[in-house]
Amino acid sequence: MKTSIRIAKKEIKIALREKLVLTLSCIILVLLGISLYTGVIAYQQQQKTITNAQEEKREEWLGQGDKHPHIAAHFGTFIFKPKTVLSLFDFGLDTYTGTSVYLEAHYQHQFMFRPAQDHSSMIRFGELSSALVLQILMPLLIIFLAYASFTKEKERGTLRLLSSQGVTLTSIAWGKILAYFIILLVILVPFALGLLLLSYWLKTPDTVADLGIRIVLLGSTYMAYIFIFVVLSVLVSLKSSISRNALLTLLTCWILFTIIIPKTIANLGESLYPLPSMKIYKEAILKDKADGLDGKTPRAERMTKLEKELLTKHKVDSVQQLPFNYEGVRMQAGEEYGDKVYDVHWGRLLNIFNKQNKLGSYVSVVNPYIALRNISMGLSATDLNASIDFQKKVENYRRIFIKKMNDDMAENSEYGKFYEYSVGLDMWKSVEDFTYKTPSIYTTLKKYALELASLFCWTIALILFLNYITRKTKPTNG
Amino acid sequence: MLKANGLTKKYGAFTALNALDLEIGEGDIFCLLGANGAGKSTTINLFLNFIEPTNGNATINDMDVSKHPLETKQILSYIPENLMLYPNLTGLENLDFFCGLGGKNYSKDELDTLLQQSGLQTHFINKRVQNYSKGMRQKVGIALARAREAKVLLLDEPTSGLDPKASNEFSELLLEMKDKGVTTLMATHDLFRAKDTGTHIGIMKEGVLVEKFESKDVSFQDLEKLYLKHMHN
Repeated sequence: MKTSIRIAKKEIKIALREKLVLTLSCIILVLLGISLYTGVIAYQQQQKTITNAQEEKREEWLGQGDKHPHIAAHFGTFIFKPKTVLSLFDFGLDTYTGTSVYLEAHYQHQFMFRPAQDHSSMIRFGELSSALVLQILMPLLIIFLAYASFTKEKERGTLRLLSSQGVTLTSIAWGKILAYFIILLVILVPFALGLLLLSYWLKTPDTVADLGIRIVLLGSTYMAYIFIFVVLSVLVSLKSSISRNALLTLLTCWILFTIIIPKTIANLGESLYPLPSMKIYKEAILKDKADGLDGKTPRAERMTKLEKELLTKHKVDSVQQLPFNYEGVRMQAGEEYGDKVYDVHWGRLLNIFNKQNKLGSYVSVVNPYIALRNISMGLSATDLNASIDFQKKVENYRRIFIKKMNDDMAENSEYGKFYEYSVGLDMWKSVEDFTYKTPSIYTTLKKYALELASLFCWTIALILFLNYITRKTKPTNG
Repeated sequence: MLKANGLTKKYGAFTALNALDLEIGEGDIFCLLGANGAGKSTTINLFLNFIEPTNGNATINDMDVSKHPLETKQILSYIPENLMLYPNLTGLENLDFFCGLGGKNYSKDELDTLLQQSGLQTHFINKRVQNYSKGMRQKVGIALARAREAKVLLLDEPTSGLDPKASNEFSELLLEMKDKGVTTLMATHDLFRAKDTGTHIGIMKEGVLVEKFESKDVSFQDLEKLYLKHMHN
């Protein structure tokens, strides 16, 4: 250990005197600073827009005046997706999943105002988030820092001198790893502190469940990822005869990990499990609502059946004699059937999303970048699962909201006197504002068990492999 | 102190070193002469355990170097043909670093003295090694051997490329260390230096030690004749 520390000190001293390392470190630090700054600006702007719009829509809802509850159900309301404080760090899919949705009776509207729609194609390719810098650019810095860790020693002849002092290759390798890790920590610690201070300063609403644990886990997984790239770079350098070969091998790995494999898997996922177009998806829902899920029970038939059942149950001859407004019950029944149809089609869509996501999860076993990218989005609550969870909760809210309107109509109004009945402010106030909290950390971690296992196994496997290789390798035959 | 017992190294069909038997006593300077590819550096590398022998073994202080790689390296110091140090560190920083690896910690003044005693000019001590000549780097190597209080020196053509003055200074330092009981195995092309510095001389050819004698038993002219005879055969 003492030897490794001594080697680490020497490596740091040399790195500080080499301008390339300093320059690259500064570039990464500046990029992290810019990404954090843009993250804060985007967060503040969106948060402000959301808060203003939400307040405006709530005022509109409360100030809509007296009207029939079903008309109010169509008047509807808007729900805005709150930004999580961790989206400062990892924008995830937030840019693509939309920020608001219009809620009304009978229809499940799609999310609107996707920030990516407003950006240029370059931005759509990937915004500069801190997560992106750490996931893609940090490995590049590590590669430039460590690709010559052993090859330079071999080329200079200092490796033989080191070994002749009775220093094992294992001690040398761990000394170098320790040094690179310390250099990277010097970059990361100010950034992490800045991030923490900003999140405190922004004092965001408590949207993210288990925020503390998420931050600790984010820190740990990023550390593991950086460690993996450091060890991998040192290993490749150890086994390469010259620096150029080590650099080429590592850059090839970087391109494979961060560009080729993720793009290939995304395309493969789309080809193997294609999503229906929005037009086909919406038409299928409308068709099933009209003809029934089995294709044989059209809406009119379903309504006749409902009417008969109610008349039999209440032992009356006409809907006018029912102890409630049949129109309200009919509308709610239609709503519930529509929900059932929506659930079936939405379930199918989710199934395809899950299959595509699972493919990415399986590939994360061989690609630590995909593993970290998925975990990072998950922990930041900016992934597809968080978006789906939000949509589910919004849909539940819509259903409760519409049911309240329909139930009121059924209980308090008379059949055939639609326009004569109206409700007012008390009713609108009884519809509570939508609040959202992300799934718990336990739920998130369960979704990313494979990715977490992948990072863990990569870390352990590389440690064992490095120790094995350094014991087997002679300083003269890297 | 240093022993080779049937020490052999083969690379496929090529035999780099063939059944070398050698014994070097404490305080002796054994110079290995031979053309390029004769097996001199292979011998040094085997004693350093940088390569595994195909047959036989090499021992230092009765310890097999393959079985006790760390223990044997604790008592030896190695200076290659072109001692390379870390160019971005000063001579003093390099010496401090390598001494520390061997568990020897010296103050700045002590390191300074060691470098001066090894012949390094004072104003170069705190300059980065990238400004050093080969001779100056070899002197840092000697300082390191002194600092580590090495009992064994393994030198692989250490004076090759040095100017006569630097080469002479290097020889003087070796003799000084010999007087302190340091055992040296030196591979060299330099017949004059071998005769002048060595207590024993061996001539290697195609991986075989073809001659072995005490340096005092031959004149420089005889040594030259003997060497050329083997090279021409």
